Amino acid sequence: MAVGPSATVTAAGLQAPTAQDAAGAAWRRLGRLKWGVGGAVVFLVIVLSAVFAPVISPHDPLSVDIRHRMAPPAWMDGGTREHLLGTDQIGRDLLSRVIWGGRVSLLVGVTAVLLSATIGVLLGLTAGYFAGGADWSIMTVINVMLTFPFVLLALAVIAVLGPSVPNMIVVLGITGWPVYARVIRAETFALRERDFVVAARALGMSHARIIFGQILPNLISPIVVVATLQIAQVIILESFLSFLGLGVQPPTPAWGNMLGEGRVYMLNSWWIAAFPGLAIFVTTLVLNLMGNGLRDWLDPHMKL
Amino acid sequence: MIRAAALGFALLVVAGLALPGEAPAQTKDDTIVYALQSDIDTWDPPGSVLREAIILGYQVFDHLAVRDLKTRKVIPNLATSWKTIDDTTWELKLRQGVKFHDGTPFTSKDVKATFDRVLDPAKKMIARGNHAKIKAVEIVDDYTVRFKTDGPYPLFVERLTAQVMESEKVIREKGDEWMQEHPVGTGPYKLVSWNRKQEHLLVRNDDYWGPKPYYKYVRIRIIPEQATQIAELLSGGVDIMKAVPPDQMDVINKSGAARTATSPILRTAFLQLDQAARGGPNPFTDKRVRIAANLAADQDAIIKHVLNGLGDRVATAVNPMAFGWDPALKPYKQDIPRAKKLLAEAGYPNGVDILFNEGPPTVEPGTQQTNDAIVADMTKVGFRVKRNYIGDNTVVVARAKEGKLGPMFNWSWGYYSVFDADAILYDIFKCGEFYAYYCNKELDDLIISGRSTLDQKKRTEVYVKAQKLLFDDAAYLYKWGLRGVWGISNRVEYSAPPDEVDRMFLVTPRKK
Amino acid sequence: MRRYLVRQLVQLVVVILGISILAFSILHIIGDPVTLLLPQNAGKEEYARYKHLMGLDQPIWVQYWKFASSAIRGDFGKSWYGNAPAFHLVIDRMPPTIYLTLAGLGVALMISLPLGVLAALKRHSMVDTLCTLLAVAGQAMPIFWLGIMLIIIFAVRLRLLPASGYGTWQNFVMPAFCLGAFLAPLTMRLVRSGLIEVMNMEFIKTARAKGLGERIVVVKHAFRNACIPVVTVLGLQFGQLLGGAFITETVFAWPGVATLTVDSIRNQDFPVVQCAVVLLALIIVIVNALVDVLVGFIDPRIRAGA
Repeated sequence: MAVGPSATVTAAGLQAPTAQDAAGAAWRRLGRLKWGVGGAVVFLVIVLSAVFAPVISPHDPLSVDIRHRMAPPAWMDGGTREHLLGTDQIGRDLLSRVIWGGRVSLLVGVTAVLLSATIGVLLGLTAGYFAGGADWSIMTVINVMLTFPFVLLALAVIAVLGPSVPNMIVVLGITGWPVYARVIRAETFALRERDFVVAARALGMSHARIIFGQILPNLISPIVVVATLQIAQVIILESFLSFLGLGVQPPTPAWGNMLGEGRVYMLNSWWIAAFPGLAIFVTTLVLNLMGNGLRDWLDPHMKL
Repeated sequence: MIRAAALGFALLVVAGLALPGEAPAQTKDDTIVYALQSDIDTWDPPGSVLREAIILGYQVFDHLAVRDLKTRKVIPNLATSWKTIDDTTWELKLRQGVKFHDGTPFTSKDVKATFDRVLDPAKKMIARGNHAKIKAVEIVDDYTVRFKTDGPYPLFVERLTAQVMESEKVIREKGDEWMQEHPVGTGPYKLVSWNRKQEHLLVRNDDYWGPKPYYKYVRIRIIPEQATQIAELLSGGVDIMKAVPPDQMDVINKSGAARTATSPILRTAFLQLDQAARGGPNPFTDKRVRIAANLAADQDAIIKHVLNGLGDRVATAVNPMAFGWDPALKPYKQDIPRAKKLLAEAGYPNGVDILFNEGPPTVEPGTQQTNDAIVADMTKVGFRVKRNYIGDNTVVVARAKEGKLGPMFNWSWGYYSVFDADAILYDIFKCGEFYAYYCNKELDDLIISGRSTLDQKKRTEVYVKAQKLLFDDAAYLYKWGLRGVWGISNRVEYSAPPDEVDRMFLVTPRKK
Repeated sequence: MRRYLVRQLVQLVVVILGISILAFSILHIIGDPVTLLLPQNAGKEEYARYKHLMGLDQPIWVQYWKFASSAIRGDFGKSWYGNAPAFHLVIDRMPPTIYLTLAGLGVALMISLPLGVLAALKRHSMVDTLCTLLAVAGQAMPIFWLGIMLIIIFAVRLRLLPASGYGTWQNFVMPAFCLGAFLAPLTMRLVRSGLIEVMNMEFIKTARAKGLGERIVVVKHAFRNACIPVVTVLGLQFGQLLGGAFITETVFAWPGVATLTVDSIRNQDFPVVQCAVVLLALIIVIVNALVDVLVGFIDPRIRAGA
């Protein structure tokens, strides 16, 4: 690579790229990804507000005050600065509940995704690397689980285990791994024929070292992209389960159960359901933008 | 591109053509639509405890006597007169010319068959407890019946309004299972079809002996979500709904499409606590825990702010409109420090975990909202309440009957529209009854003595004692007497019934 | 071709078996049906007696065999709260769900096909960016929220459509639109990327070089071939489509299998849940197999036995 500012003229008369050019190209690429970057920024804000919820939340999300129930947001008639987004049906501050609700949703989303990514990547690596019988059996399970709507599986297991946050994380984690496995398997297949892998085997490296040392590092991109997109999926699923009453139980605030409880009030105290719904929408949107942006940045030709 | 759109359109057309055909053609003008939140379990009224079953029973069946809604007195219906022969015998004369929907004439043998069936211990009918004082029914002639009671029975006439008359022929020939889905009564409407958990369709009985209903068809739609019920009311899909949450009343009244109507009703709400340990050992077997629960909730504030004043605080579960209610007994006042102390004394200094089973708000307006507030209050005292919402009323009552709904659940009682303290004490507080989760021998004795004398003064004394006992022992977590809230479409004329029975045969269109 | 079909059949059987094992194990291994059925204070002997009565004290594979063998005959046991065999309850509620799914698919196609083609043809233009943004936003929208909003706007405020219920074509409009909006974003992007890929292929360049009009190139050659991967993925998405139908049904109180399943889960009525899971899986698997066979016929590469 040429390092200096001057170009090197090659025999064919073409100019090799300079560092300035390389930087410029990267900057332009980032520019095309402005949506992804924007999404990432907003997501960061959401994460920070969830992490620092105890600090930034104006009220205790569980404190009930029935004398001030169903107060409208501050900018409407009857709203006060005390409760910027209004209060819910038993007087709890809505802004605080939305902030704390983000905590639960993000916690469930990230933990469930970590769980399913771990399982999925391990199984995908196994299937792709060892092929043969292991591959066939894992692929069959993947097919069985992928044909089935996520929703139904999650519902059925929750039915038996009972609704609670740990149960939900387990259920969403365990029903979500096939997506990773399929992608990782395909990528592993491609990678194991590559020179550096073949060479490593010839050198007598153990399978484990090859898988974790050589192959896995190359899979970071697809894993990250799929995981980002999956967090959004899991958050929507968790919201739906909570909306049905089968997820996070009240009074713990979660966007889904807030939406479900607020449904009756859509006609007069619409803010009770509108803001949690908006929160779900925005979070999912930025996660999708981020995920797409990541994919475009890391490897536009990734088959997802 | 055009092909794609065509493909999509074709799919839609196929979907549309494949739709099931409509039921018998009803138009908007000849049909009244009534919304229920939860379906009934059976069309055989004595076999169900659900208020919905009682209401639907009134459309299709008749009773020996009914309540006049204006005077609140009991007036003749299928029975034209009654008198006592002696302390334990009543004689009734029956109306002539009445026919069941299948054409058979109504006579005294139908009365006997109905009561024999309900009173038969082997059949385990829910309604048996209501009429347990009746020993036997004798036929004197085709239109005269005699009832023999087990000792003096002061509530005899009142309770005539709580039993529908069923056909002896049907009982004999068809049996219990058939009767659950095929009601054959003498009433103003007949059942056309029952699509379980979806909808019932009733059609006018043009041979009815009484005043004919205006609307030819009644569609009873089962709509589990209250939000959807209200949306349907406002958009014209439903004409009458009940148990409107009080905080939605202004939405309905401002809509221009419907209005609300309220009425004090003979129903009290309470949280039943499993003192009798029907579901196994639980914290509420300890009196101190029960009192702590009663001291936790600020019921007055809840009535004021959550129900917008639509509730009447009561000290126990006896409704102010019922005979025997003691106005001198004052209810528990919120006292969080004392409640915490009692909980600690009972052995729970760090609080206690409670499972709270909730059912759908089918008859109690604003249940979910008031439960939210009560639970929040109880949490302040140290009760860690885990809530379990059961959306289907048939499941709720099935579990309640089997003793599986404890340790705490939401319940209300409509007294079978019998305005007497006995109508709640017996079914809800007497040890061993289907829906009673309380067991106290002293109370049982009081209940028996209350229903065994015709002396109203004596009865009042007995019931005052009973209420004091229930209060001191904090049998359940007491709430309030309810006010019913109905949502009524502006295209019909209808008034809120104080006995909680929606009579579709009285609905008429609104004059423009 | 024969081998392809046989392979599909084998996969079908395996998947159905897998689902039935899954459905069975959910109740019998993770849960305990006896505790769920009995009153809370039932004693140990009552528990043991019930267990024996229900045949639950036998080894797990014997129980599974009994379950599977009766399931094949359509006997999934009696609903614990519904007074009817679980199978009948589920089958009765199938048609509304199927109709909704088809209607939703129709709406999705009506939206996504034109938009996807447009976006592919006018790649990187404003139109394309707009379509892509719409798709991303659409994928982020929780459809149960969309459903509630639709009801408020179109039923309550505008009084144009019924708020709930089933029976006339008006009842279909909002739920079908909701479900279609759920599926459309993904479909649109699939159509777009599939078409783009095909458009860059050799035979398209050949067709252009032959001097054929752009319209014919797109419609006759590109689109047809793009259909193959789209149909394949859509077919595989049938499961997800049903999942979307599930969510839509609960919002609109649609009398279909989804609301039945959710209610049964709330009531812990497990025979019905088991039956619904197995039957739905069966349908999904059959549809997938049919799609695979269909693709096998259309795609000349498979037809030729590649």
